[in-house]
Amino acid sequence: MKKIITGILSIMLLLNLAGCGNGKSGGAHVFYYTYSDTYISNVRAKLGDSFNKMDISYHDYDSNGNQTTQTEQVQTAITKGAKALVVNVVNTGSDDAASGIITQATKADIPVIFFNREVSDKVVNSYKNCVFVGTDAKEAGHMQGEMIGEYLLNNYDKTDLNGDGKISYILFKGEEGNNEAIYRTQFAVEDANNILVNAGKPELEFYDISNPNKYLVDKNGQWSAAAANEYMSTALTSFNDANNNMIELVICNNDGMAEGAITALSSVGYNTGSKKMIPVFGVDATDAAVELIKNNRMTGTIKQDANLMAETIAVITSNALNGKDLLDNIDKTYIDKGVAKVRIPYSKYLGQ
Amino acid sequence: MDNNQNVSNANKRFKVNKNTIIEFLIDNSLYIFIIAAIIAIQIISPMFLSIPSIINIISLSAANLPLALGIAGCIILTGTDLSAGRIVGVVACVSASLLQSTGYANKMFPDLNTMSVYTVFIIALAIGGIVGLINGFCTAKFHLHPFIVTLSTQLIVYGFLLMYLMIGNNNGQSISGLDSSFTNLITGSILSIGETAIPNFVWFSIIITALMWFIWNKTKFGKNMFAVGSNPDAANVSGVNVTRTIIYVFTLAGILYGVTGFIEAARIGSNSAATGLNYELDAIAACVIGGVSFVGGIGKIRGVIIGVVLLRIIFVGLTFLGIDANMQYVIKGLIILIACAIDMRKYLVKK
Amino acid sequence: MKNVLLEMKNITKEFPGVKALDNVSLIIEKGTVHALMGENGAGKSTLMKCLFGIYAKDGGAIILDGKEVNFKNSKDALENGVAMVHQELNQALKRTVSDNIWLGRYPTYFKTIVNEKKMYNDTKQIFDSLNIKINPKTIMSSLPVSQRQMVEIAKAVSYNSKIIVFDEPTSSLNDTEVKHLFEIINRLKEKGCGIIYISHKMEEILEISDYVTVMRDGMHIATHKASDMNIDKIIKLMVGRELTARFPEKTNKPEDVILKVEELSSTHNLLNNISFVLKKGEILGIAGLAGSGRTELLENIFGLSERKSGKIFLHGKELKIKNTNDSVKAGLALVTEERRANGIFAILDILSNATISNLSKYIKFNLFLEKRKMKSDTDNVIKSMRVKTPSQSTQIRTLSGGNQQKVIFGRWMLTEPEILMLDEPTRGIDVGAKYEIYQLIIEMAQNGKSIIMVSSEMPELLGICDRIIVMSGGTIAGEVNPATTNQEEIMSLASKYV
Repeated sequence: MKKIITGILSIMLLLNLAGCGNGKSGGAHVFYYTYSDTYISNVRAKLGDSFNKMDISYHDYDSNGNQTTQTEQVQTAITKGAKALVVNVVNTGSDDAASGIITQATKADIPVIFFNREVSDKVVNSYKNCVFVGTDAKEAGHMQGEMIGEYLLNNYDKTDLNGDGKISYILFKGEEGNNEAIYRTQFAVEDANNILVNAGKPELEFYDISNPNKYLVDKNGQWSAAAANEYMSTALTSFNDANNNMIELVICNNDGMAEGAITALSSVGYNTGSKKMIPVFGVDATDAAVELIKNNRMTGTIKQDANLMAETIAVITSNALNGKDLLDNIDKTYIDKGVAKVRIPYSKYLGQ
Repeated sequence: MDNNQNVSNANKRFKVNKNTIIEFLIDNSLYIFIIAAIIAIQIISPMFLSIPSIINIISLSAANLPLALGIAGCIILTGTDLSAGRIVGVVACVSASLLQSTGYANKMFPDLNTMSVYTVFIIALAIGGIVGLINGFCTAKFHLHPFIVTLSTQLIVYGFLLMYLMIGNNNGQSISGLDSSFTNLITGSILSIGETAIPNFVWFSIIITALMWFIWNKTKFGKNMFAVGSNPDAANVSGVNVTRTIIYVFTLAGILYGVTGFIEAARIGSNSAATGLNYELDAIAACVIGGVSFVGGIGKIRGVIIGVVLLRIIFVGLTFLGIDANMQYVIKGLIILIACAIDMRKYLVKK
Repeated sequence: MKNVLLEMKNITKEFPGVKALDNVSLIIEKGTVHALMGENGAGKSTLMKCLFGIYAKDGGAIILDGKEVNFKNSKDALENGVAMVHQELNQALKRTVSDNIWLGRYPTYFKTIVNEKKMYNDTKQIFDSLNIKINPKTIMSSLPVSQRQMVEIAKAVSYNSKIIVFDEPTSSLNDTEVKHLFEIINRLKEKGCGIIYISHKMEEILEISDYVTVMRDGMHIATHKASDMNIDKIIKLMVGRELTARFPEKTNKPEDVILKVEELSSTHNLLNNISFVLKKGEILGIAGLAGSGRTELLENIFGLSERKSGKIFLHGKELKIKNTNDSVKAGLALVTEERRANGIFAILDILSNATISNLSKYIKFNLFLEKRKMKSDTDNVIKSMRVKTPSQSTQIRTLSGGNQQKVIFGRWMLTEPEILMLDEPTRGIDVGAKYEIYQLIIEMAQNGKSIIMVSSEMPELLGICDRIIVMSGGTIAGEVNPATTNQEEIMSLASKYV
């Protein structure tokens, strides 16, 4: 009995391997920092479509949030005969990971396209066949701050529920030590405050004065809806209408966290689509967020254009495989001065 | 002479009393700690014991309780279950995808009418149960340690979850836009205290806990589970079907993860590949804090509840106090260590 | 022969290269106790394993109540009225007494919900019928071994067993407990049960059994009425030769005092105000009932448990010991009672088992172990202790109890201790091997080692010790001279403070 089962399992495994393995060795090898990120998954789907359209063979890797895994995957891909490396680098805290990949690629003379998670100018400049495609990490934060400030100027009294003249806010940070999270957390509040102060209004006030950080962070670093949900429902137990200190503004590093916060709000009767609504702002413009905004349950988000990102990467990859200059056919206004970095612009999204 | 003896006897008795008091304090230090912590937090932050806050703690605990009860069974068999979190994730995503409202623009299966909540509930239990069955089967039949089995199934389940999220219209997006029949059932409320509504899943959790108490304490299967955990050889010699007992325990655990995943889908409202990540670690911590021992054969439903609630009190309390998130790890780690050290004292014979 | 309950006819069992059982027959009558004797390896346990279906027999037949039976496993045997009370109790220790008795067949409502009340009452009824005074709701692990054994017997009775096999039932019982056990066995006899009683203790066997069957080398040697037998006759049948003496000649000569214990008391157990001396080259016996503090005394001297007050002098200098490592360095050694639990490393080989306490001697350049030296030392152990083993790399668990014990003796001899403390050194070891162990002990004393030996078997204390201390209730009740004392005097001292 046991032998039969073991046998069946082994055969299944072999079939599985045979089914999954694709013999393609050349072409583009794409390394994603993790498959579990919703935005990155979106880029992955779109990039796959673009590659198929352009008839480029490709191979995807999941680095599962681990730089060591990714570096080893890159090594393997090079030995397998990769013609282009498309890397969503895991470790953005220092240059070591990215320059390690550059060193390997230089030896094998393979072009490298970094995307989404930013690498430094020094790294990009260190190898002629290297570009970065991404966004300006600071831009999302600035844009979110601007959007919040403008929204508040237009809706100040409506937002100031207890009429004390000040807006109390809560802010959910996706992850400690990540540049995008740091910039978004900082600029969303700073820029909104600038606009408010210029218009003669007081600065935003964090809802809980005893918290010196002025943000609540997902301890698993997953930018997750669950973390925002649990923080929000806990906060709402002591900051609510009954105590006349309701939280008046919700700022989230991404749309996933915004969704979690909205779920918590709706369990106390807010943001259910009626007029009773706390403004909630996110980043990414995921499908879910767009839908929430449409249903009047969320206020605004910053659109990271996954489609444009994917198309740009695909064009650059095609250039690399065909021996053209990497930045051929790319909108020059998107390219940074003095370094081969392509910036896909963000845009505000407040509903159609 | 006699007098002296009396005095020394009296001393001895006094000393014994003093020792028993110390013993009592140490053995119950967990409870004392909880009470002290509650009082301290309450003084610093008076809203902590308000009705909304208490209901919040209860509902956060209730969401995690079925999962912890499932894992507790595995621990009683001297095992563990690392796949719990990922099972929650996959069940949550599948349940959510089948229960998106019909008008929702980004519906994963646009042509699918919203299914009956109860059908999906059965599907959720079935998915959890099947993975649990596989865990139990491999543990019992191949005599593998559950650590290894569930380490493997956890990866397999995660792989399937990532694949699942890419199908249909979804492209790896988080799954939201749930039908109101689903959210009403789970997060709606049939009872409020004052202004604060108690979400329905709290009642589900209470029913499940009562059911689990009954299974553990009153049924043949429950007794067999403890016997197998305590001494599998003795159980085998006495005619207990050890293989079947192990398979049942893991399957039951899987079903409980299914319940958790189903609740989680509606409770959070946004389900992605990260849903359920590391839930098993909190649940295992809750179990060991509550005295479910890795020695095997020891554990009470009461203990699991205390463990889950304690962890939640720590989470909520530290949020109330505005303590740095990094410090929360340290505090949680210390509590687990100390709770287990106290627990272990009971099994050590002093020499 | 109307009263025949169980007949094992011409049972044969072969393992590759060995004939473990050769045409062995055994007849058990209703209401009798049938002792099964033989040295380790004589085939007793193989015969029992064939009865319980753990081994498939190659030939012969088992007839229970006139019908031929072939049990698939011990559960099958149990359900058909054949039960075994194991030497090593296999119980779910964290569960209650009644849970253990009814494990695998709880009385239930609707086949799922356990009927606790019936379980309690049934347990109580069986306990009453056997005069066992244990609360069925007690957690097993809080009971002493003797009571756990009673539970095991009650479990056998609860199956309405017709045949109950006792495997070394008294190895961890003291005399009072043995008396209670015999009382229970007599009740079982009255009920008409047939008892198979396996033991190495001759005195006990002569007391309790009606018939004695002796086996040797897988063969049935003889079956006699117990009333026709005596110890010498049994030994002769077992070893197949005349053992001129049960104990070797004493050749050691006690010299000056080497160890002095003054007013020793312990913190967490019953040791109270213990003083004694030990001489160089002396074998000092410690007698007493189980629970009198004998083991605790050895453990305390060795540094395994906390000392409240009192002093220990070695060579006139006070000995300050914080842990067992200090003790070994000071020249003490302890051979523990529970060989399997804290004596041997079962899956490790002889070499590792022999050298484990002495590794620091083999370290070269503070770095690695000198394998050659370890091997030659292990060879010395095997030779000097006369260990019967195929090689140094044999796993120790495959050796017989006697040979395991010899390896452990060897381990401690390698550390060159001055004082060797032995706790029940011959427990579970058969007669022939016991003689060798006695020889080794006397040889060690003759070579200037001092020995403290705890034993529950009074004849062996009387046979090889120079002096005997009798403990009772955690303190010393008296000291006797083996040449002039008798078992009665020791017994009365042992029960002085009970």
